[in-house]
Amino acid sequence: MYQRKYEVFFIVDPDLPDSDLKSLETRLKEIVAREGGSVLSYNSWGKKKLAYSVKKRTRGHYFLMEFLGGSELPQELERNLKIDERVLRFITVKLDDRYEPGKDESIQVPPPSYDEASTEEGSSLEMPEQKEEQEQENE
Amino acid sequence: MVITKATIKKKRRFFKHRKVCRFCADSSLKIDYKDANLLQHFLTERAKIVPRRITGNCAKHQRELTVAIKRARQMALLPYTTIAPI
Repeated sequence: MYQRKYEVFFIVDPDLPDSDLKSLETRLKEIVAREGGSVLSYNSWGKKKLAYSVKKRTRGHYFLMEFLGGSELPQELERNLKIDERVLRFITVKLDDRYEPGKDESIQVPPPSYDEASTEEGSSLEMPEQKEEQEQENE
Repeated sequence: MVITKATIKKKRRFFKHRKVCRFCADSSLKIDYKDANLLQHFLTERAKIVPRRITGNCAKHQRELTVAIKRARQMALLPYTTIAPI
């Protein structure tokens, strides 16, 4: 039987003490283990300013957890995340239907890409000039 | 007068060079809903998704992109809309 690969990306209250973050981590890992899955990675992505306020908070601490499990596992995990008041928001995405440990195509991307330094930046890569030009033409 | 204007417009359109999909041109560029900085390039100032006739994306990647942007919005990485400056 193949297991599926999922990731759950969630925002935690930024003002939580470390002990709470630890207990949340162990709780989530416990749930995965209880339902017959296994945690691949659990990383903090740092604190970031939110694009809009969520539950009256303007900042959030992002976490990403990748795990393997059956089709019932995300449902159970989301049920628990909904109950937990420390979690502001979450999203679960299926990455792979049939996970094989051998073909590790997703070689770990550096996780803590957020954090204060990279929050507000208006980097301009390319394309805005031609965009304007086009818009005029289409009128 | 009107006809000439129209014909000029048509001609100009004909000579316009073709834009290439950024994601097809660079296979190392992955569409990920967690990468807000990349997705930001495909939003207007009002945080609307830029249509592919303007960005030049191919249909496949535009589809992936819209899904990614919508997920990023759910996670408060990108705004649904911006406040009017007035």
